[in-house]
Amino acid sequence: MRYVIDAFIVISIFFALAGTVGLIRMPDAFCRMQSSTNIATLGVLGVIIGGILYSAVYLHNGEMAVKLAAMGVFYIVTNPIASHAIAKGAYRHGVRPDKEMKCDKYGEDMEK
Amino acid sequence: MKMDELIFFGICFVVLALLLFYRLIKGPSAADRAVAADSMDILVDMALILFALYTGRSVFLDIAFITAILGFIGTTLIARYLEGKL
Repeated sequence: MRYVIDAFIVISIFFALAGTVGLIRMPDAFCRMQSSTNIATLGVLGVIIGGILYSAVYLHNGEMAVKLAAMGVFYIVTNPIASHAIAKGAYRHGVRPDKEMKCDKYGEDMEK
Repeated sequence: MKMDELIFFGICFVVLALLLFYRLIKGPSAADRAVAADSMDILVDMALILFALYTGRSVFLDIAFITAILGFIGTTLIARYLEGKL
């Protein structure tokens, strides 16, 4: 059981590392936002599932397991809202991708 | 039984959060800085969860939950401000 928990957390660390490298290395702002979503979904879920297993099997503490499950649901619900809001705000603020866009429906709608 | 490797995993998350200071300081636009700060918040949350599991005290879980809520509110507020509707 210990190795199962370790595997969940290591998977989570791998995805957090991928998101961090993408956030540092990607060329423009929208690529970086897309890469940072990695941290908040798969990087969180591994730790949450591993923590639920650890607190239920080894600590025999149901309170911690329920709190962890509530945190996981909170992350899954709120992360898309924050990502959407920050992308829309960046576009309205004047941030554009590096390459010329082939199709920009949101900009056309905004001008109307 | 204590799993000592939880501490090392927590240190990994904190090191990842420290790496994001590069983007927080250098980031060309304000949206980059907001995204980097939000990601650092989440990574420190993960380290707090692992520390709570290591010590077996659920106080740190409460702190992590509050930090998550504050990070979400802060990101949404910055987004609304950039949008010009605040």
